Amino acid sequence: MIELAFHKTLHSADGTMPLRVDLRIKQGSFACLYGKSGAGKTSFARIVAGLLAAEAGRIRVNGATWYDSEAGIELRPQQRSVGFVFQDYALFPNMTVEENLSFALRRGQDAGIVRDLIELIELGGLRDRRPAMLSGGQRQRVALARALVQTPALLLLDEPLAALDAAMRARLQQYILRVHREYRLSTILISHDVSDILKMADTLLHLEHGGIVWQGPPAKYFGRSSLSGKFQFSGELIAIEAQDVVFILSILIGGNVVKVVADESEVKALRIGDRLLVASKAFNPIIRKIDVNPDDERIPRS
Amino acid sequence: MNILHGHIDSLTSSGSLTLVHVNVRQTRLSAIVIDRPDTAPYLKLGNSVTVLFKETEVVVGRGTEHFVSLQNKLPGSVESIAKGELLSRLVLATAVGKVVSVITTNALRQLALEPGSAITAMIKTNEMMLSE
Repeated sequence: MIELAFHKTLHSADGTMPLRVDLRIKQGSFACLYGKSGAGKTSFARIVAGLLAAEAGRIRVNGATWYDSEAGIELRPQQRSVGFVFQDYALFPNMTVEENLSFALRRGQDAGIVRDLIELIELGGLRDRRPAMLSGGQRQRVALARALVQTPALLLLDEPLAALDAAMRARLQQYILRVHREYRLSTILISHDVSDILKMADTLLHLEHGGIVWQGPPAKYFGRSSLSGKFQFSGELIAIEAQDVVFILSILIGGNVVKVVADESEVKALRIGDRLLVASKAFNPIIRKIDVNPDDERIPRS
Repeated sequence: MNILHGHIDSLTSSGSLTLVHVNVRQTRLSAIVIDRPDTAPYLKLGNSVTVLFKETEVVVGRGTEHFVSLQNKLPGSVESIAKGELLSRLVLATAVGKVVSVITTNALRQLALEPGSAITAMIKTNEMMLSE
């Protein structure tokens, strides 16, 4: 269990705002901290990591107390079992990928973890390169690996995908999910990208004006419950085809490809790979009993 | 998708169904949903809601007098037409704002519609979806 309860007054150009949270996240969960810029997301992460001091409160991660203002406990960032990846993570420019990772080892720590991470995050071909020779996505992979060298209990990701293009983004999402599962991490991702959240997170924390205003499953938050249509599925957009004056979308839903007609006004905002909510009213679908004998099965096409 | 914003004007429930009237710019639209005010808190008089309906479900009639069962009738005119081989897309100017309709090009021909034609856009009550 991860218990985060703290407050701090934040100062910005628009004045002051209290950041006040009190929440629990299950160990092993992948939570996403979601909210507009200026809501306090980065300050939240910095307080958890120990890079910014809270005014009061308590932070406990898997039974270990990192911060307790009443008991006078305040661990330094390096004493907290936390890995941190920022949007623009600074790697040491004069070191190779492998040296960057090895540098993060604790004194006396087995270097086997570096080899494991290089394999898991597929950095083998890049191990001897310096950061200047890497693309943005590759640098983020190295940053992710480096954050995991000390096998932290908690992984904090502050918009690590924001600067990447769609293909790179999808790959890094896969690597993040892979390490999250492999190392049984508890992960908090800061993002305001709905597709990141639906793809990766099991818990959404909506931060607004310094307070958590909603906590729960992301699919519930994004539309599922707010549309009256009872015929709802979420899927992945795999093709967009212009036909006459309309568009035909192919959407992968639970192993089946369904086709949906869409208007140009809707298609403008879509990209292949996007997660989509497909909704219709319960009044529209026709139903037909399927015969148990597959030879007799007759389902009209379209 | 056509998207309109309005306020709930009336609610009539029977069993698990509720007939909802939504006031959009002084025009009353009707929608029916499988929800009740006690199970769906957004169903409350005066609440602001979004009404959604698909372009392909918008019926177009010439003129204004239609003795048909469709409850949502929006008089207006054709603003523009994109003519395809089988389907055509019409942008209609109505009292609730712009409404897009996709009909067959055959129907477009039969009705002899052109920009400026006086029409009524019509949508069945059960095709109207609501969102908070």
